[in-house]
Amino acid sequence: MNQHYLELRSLTKSFGKGETKVTAVDHIDLAVCEGELVTLLGPSGCGKTTTLRMIAGFHTPTSGDVLIDGVSVNALPPNKRPTAMVFQNYALFPHMTVAENIAYGLKIRGDSRESIDTQVEEMMNLIGLQGLAKRQPRELSGGQQQRVSLARALVMEPKVLLFDEPLSNLDAKLRVSTRLEIRKLQQRVGITSVYVTHDQEEAMTLSDKVVIMKDGIIQQIGSPSEIYSHPCNRFVAAFIGKANFLEADIVKVTDTQLLMKINGKDVSAPCWNKSIRKNDHVLVVARPESIILGEPSADLIEGTVRDSVYFGSQMLYEVQIATDQTVQIEIADPQHHKHYEKGTKVGLTFKDRSLHVLTELEGAGNET
Amino acid sequence: MSTHIPGRRNSTRSNDIRKLLGEPGLLFAILIIFYLLIVFVIFPIFQVFKTSLSYDGAFSARNYAEVLSRSYYIEPFFNSMLLGIITATIGTLIGFMFAYAITRTPMKGKEIFRLIATFPIVSPPFVISLAFILLFGRSGVFSGAIGNIYGLKGLVIVEVIAYSPTAFLALVGVLRAIDPALEEAGMDLGASRIKVFRTVILPLATPGIVSAWLLVFIQSVADFGNPMILSGDFPVLSVQAYLQITGMYDLARGSTLAILLLLPTVGAFYLQKYLLARKSYVTVTGKPTSATIKNLEWYIKLPVYSVCVFFAAVVLLFYGMVVYGSFQKLWGVDSTLTLANYVTMWRVGKGYILDSLIISSIVTPITGIMGMFIAYIITRKKFPGKNALEFASMLTFAVPGTVVGIGYIIAFNTPSVLMPVTLTGTGLIIIVLLVFRNMPVGIRNGVAALQQIDPSIEEASIDLGADSGMTFRNVTLPMIIPAFFSGLVFSFVRSMTAISAIIFVVSGKWNLITVAVLGFVDNSQYAQAAAMSILLIAIVLIALAVIKSITDMLGKGMNTATIIE
Repeated sequence: MNQHYLELRSLTKSFGKGETKVTAVDHIDLAVCEGELVTLLGPSGCGKTTTLRMIAGFHTPTSGDVLIDGVSVNALPPNKRPTAMVFQNYALFPHMTVAENIAYGLKIRGDSRESIDTQVEEMMNLIGLQGLAKRQPRELSGGQQQRVSLARALVMEPKVLLFDEPLSNLDAKLRVSTRLEIRKLQQRVGITSVYVTHDQEEAMTLSDKVVIMKDGIIQQIGSPSEIYSHPCNRFVAAFIGKANFLEADIVKVTDTQLLMKINGKDVSAPCWNKSIRKNDHVLVVARPESIILGEPSADLIEGTVRDSVYFGSQMLYEVQIATDQTVQIEIADPQHHKHYEKGTKVGLTFKDRSLHVLTELEGAGNET
Repeated sequence: MSTHIPGRRNSTRSNDIRKLLGEPGLLFAILIIFYLLIVFVIFPIFQVFKTSLSYDGAFSARNYAEVLSRSYYIEPFFNSMLLGIITATIGTLIGFMFAYAITRTPMKGKEIFRLIATFPIVSPPFVISLAFILLFGRSGVFSGAIGNIYGLKGLVIVEVIAYSPTAFLALVGVLRAIDPALEEAGMDLGASRIKVFRTVILPLATPGIVSAWLLVFIQSVADFGNPMILSGDFPVLSVQAYLQITGMYDLARGSTLAILLLLPTVGAFYLQKYLLARKSYVTVTGKPTSATIKNLEWYIKLPVYSVCVFFAAVVLLFYGMVVYGSFQKLWGVDSTLTLANYVTMWRVGKGYILDSLIISSIVTPITGIMGMFIAYIITRKKFPGKNALEFASMLTFAVPGTVVGIGYIIAFNTPSVLMPVTLTGTGLIIIVLLVFRNMPVGIRNGVAALQQIDPSIEEASIDLGADSGMTFRNVTLPMIIPAFFSGLVFSFVRSMTAISAIIFVVSGKWNLITVAVLGFVDNSQYAQAAAMSILLIAIVLIALAVIKSITDMLGKGMNTATIIE
């Protein structure tokens, strides 16, 4: 297996000149292994689509390289690159049938008639479009159109498959089922894929690797669980899942543990970051599900329940722990836990090894 | 999304030029288009200005001073404005009611109403004047019913019938773009239908209504055929400019009147374009809908339906009268049915008919291809002077035919640096005039079609391995073919029915069917005029049907709704 099947080296794209210059992608490096699905995730304008379009060849990089299978493709126009894209709005040719759409790239490549027919049919079976060959794109549902778009790209057997927010035009339920299908199909075919989305849930459930971007810069690269449990900064922590941010003062540092004070109470957290020293003022990420609600006691962080919302499978509490700070707490399986009414005094503890300490400190607060 | 970055537009001009140099064929084509537009659009209009500003061979504003100081010359200006304002106001009102009926009410037989309402657009405009004379003239069916038919009153009636369809088509688009849910929301919040209309529909539709008004105003002021027949002692600019030149051989004064005609129409045209560009907020609600209001109140239905039925009946009556008149032995004297008029018409007008068909068949494809090419480079290519090119190519749409006609006879009567041969008297001058006069609609359709094509569809093709040539042939071209054919339809219809500009450039050698009809009317040979009009309308309808069926065949699966509108 090639470790660096798709490689971006110091890739940069800026638009405009002088005062109006905007750098959409700023010296990013990324290596994608063969068969991996990597998601580019970030808010609007973070540069993820620009990056994808540079891989496809629709944007020319201002500087840097795109390498596929060890070869630079910088000089290749999009029609000569071994990539195929699944477009956000499907971009199906409205004057062709489903089969003609899927056959389009094969025809351009000059495959024989019989070979095209077989490939198209196999692809339609693979992707669950049997019986729709003669339909016009406008006669299909959004989900079906998306499949045709995927089939059209996949049939080319590209070295890298590119997805540009392919699910954003589907309704919520269909989005969930389609993304599962895409993941299964991608794993079955074993195709190297780059997937752009702004939906963090989509990124978490689909990817081998998630790349979090902001302002054209990669914030963090990692597996979904790494990113969730060890976000590298406040932006990543807040962007992926919900997070409470608590200020803390480090009291003692051991090889494996950090002891600190939060709201004057002793709390311990695993030590991931070797740069943290005694007396540092730090920010602690506490996910809502890692906080345990209990009776108040002198050595626990004190709080008052301000609100509670019942979701069936879980209960969400809002607890005020200081005049200017509330935290969100999720209790799974609420039937088997005591319910705390609004105004009740409670004591907070943290699940073992669940806290994550950030070195930066931009003031505490609550972000979800 | 992040693909749309501000400041991208500022990407350097030198870059565009370098790209263009890489495609020498395209560069060459663009230069040719520039040359043609300068010679056949800018140059003639410039010549009219120049002639109006020269007196005894010297630069002078004296023509204007004379025209403005004598009521004989200034009266036509005020008359044209008055006629334009009245026609536009009544026409817009009728057009709005019609559009409201078609888009919002549950009226029955909408398709038929729509067809009838658009009929005056595809027929030569002066046919309505002809019918008007047959109905209310001295030997008409309702002779004397409305008094003297020559003058302002007659012109208003005729032009309202001829041009409210323009307002109707424009306003259908405007009303479609207003989501009926807004109306429901207004009523849900407690407003009455009338109140909602005043506070929601009207404010949203206002830019569209004003722009429809301006369109009718332009058509009325620029109209030549109807006033030529009906103006009587109510002189209007277009006819007076024509008479100055063909009757008095006074080019300078004719040009001065032409400029007085040009200024308000071009002003109105750009005001209208500006309003349309600003009204975009109307469409943000998404897909155009045509949901009708099922339980509409009677006090809305009654006036709206009455106007529709009355207008449709009038149109049918007028055209029916032309058909009927064409079969009568001697109008008003002997009503025996006969084919004699068709025989006479054919004997006298055979040459005209053939010339019209030949010239239209040459003009139509040239206009279509050139219009589509210009639309393509405007929407998809970058090159210096693009805005100037777009402006020049759309200009003839705004300039009254009379002005264009005068410009052509001044510009091409003698050889010049730009055009080294004399064109006057040739068939070629008619062809180029029609090509450049008809092209703006083709360009507009083409631009609209190209803008509808999401660039990602073309990108998908390139992504799948096609180069830009293959992408144009396989993807872009098939998708713009309906717009291309609609451009052809328009060009053919206009070539067959145009009169105002054409009348200046026809000659003994090359003449056209519309000029022949006007000649019959001039000689009071109304029955022959009617017969020839019917033939003309028949040719146009057959051509429409043929082109539409081709379009349906080629454009299946695509949005062909834009074709006729």
